[in-house]
Amino acid sequence: MNNCAAIRDMIGAWLDGELRGAAADAVRQHLESCSACAEEQRQLTKLDLAMKAVLGSEAARLEELPFWDDLRPRIEAKRPWYAGLIERAVPVFRMPSPAWAVPALILLLIGGLYFDVFSPDWNVGSPRNNFTTVESIDAYGRNVALLREHESKTTVIWLYQNPDNEDEGSGEVVDKGPAF
Amino acid sequence: MKLSIKALLFSFFVGLAAAFYLNAAETKTFQSVQITIHTIAAQKQGSEFDARLAPLEKQLKALNYRSYRLLKEETQTARWQGNANFEIPGGRVLTVRPQEVTNNQLGLRVQLKQGSKPQLETTVRMNNGGNFILGGPPHEGGVLVLSISANAR
Repeated sequence: MNNCAAIRDMIGAWLDGELRGAAADAVRQHLESCSACAEEQRQLTKLDLAMKAVLGSEAARLEELPFWDDLRPRIEAKRPWYAGLIERAVPVFRMPSPAWAVPALILLLIGGLYFDVFSPDWNVGSPRNNFTTVESIDAYGRNVALLREHESKTTVIWLYQNPDNEDEGSGEVVDKGPAF
Repeated sequence: MKLSIKALLFSFFVGLAAAFYLNAAETKTFQSVQITIHTIAAQKQGSEFDARLAPLEKQLKALNYRSYRLLKEETQTARWQGNANFEIPGGRVLTVRPQEVTNNQLGLRVQLKQGSKPQLETTVRMNNGGNFILGGPPHEGGVLVLSISANAR
């Protein structure tokens, strides 16, 4: 009885051709001598044939569906090398998280603060913050005035004539005060 | 706020890259400085405004003159601690010496002489690519206005 139970467990695999050598011989010899197991094998064979018939007809019907004509070439087509990369990259950009605001903010701040450093020639509209710092100045006895003009962000150094001390040698008429 | 590991890692690497990049920018070595002098005659008579001075119009309007004429525009390239000498009308010479650049700010030593007599000596610190105005020396009934700009390269 135990032998029949073991053989019946193997009949399916034997019918599918999955058994080889001694195992296949054991099942075949047992089926020749055991009518109950032989009957089991006949039932399984009938079931197998019936299932193949049903699946065959369904497959034929599936092939007649309109979408199959489009789907089949796509399944069978060879995928380009970059398809995998795109599949991996798309979700990264498709699902923004609030946390991405952190790197975005960093980039924005860096761009704003250091734009001048990398684009010194860039100038739009009024001049950039152009205030010049005067660290030392010597006008050799002449009067000198400093102006920081806020509208145009300009530093002006202005030399003017001391009213009590004509600019000897120049002979030119000069201003007696700063020009602003 | 829901933080993802990917975003935090990305932030970390962006910050790291930015630190390296900015450090590189700070230590960027400029070989020389391009100095440009606009020599302008300003007068209280007339209303002429030289069209070539359009980029400086806003700055010049701060001065109490009515007429501005560009006499000369000259550009020279100077090395660090090297002099660039510009001839200015009236027998004057303007000497500009680039000293150093720190935080995108240029240190310049500027000296104005008339003949052998120094008229002005100043040390200024200005934005790279910026300018300042030096004015006042008399010229043909008006004054000279010098726009001194420098650009380290």
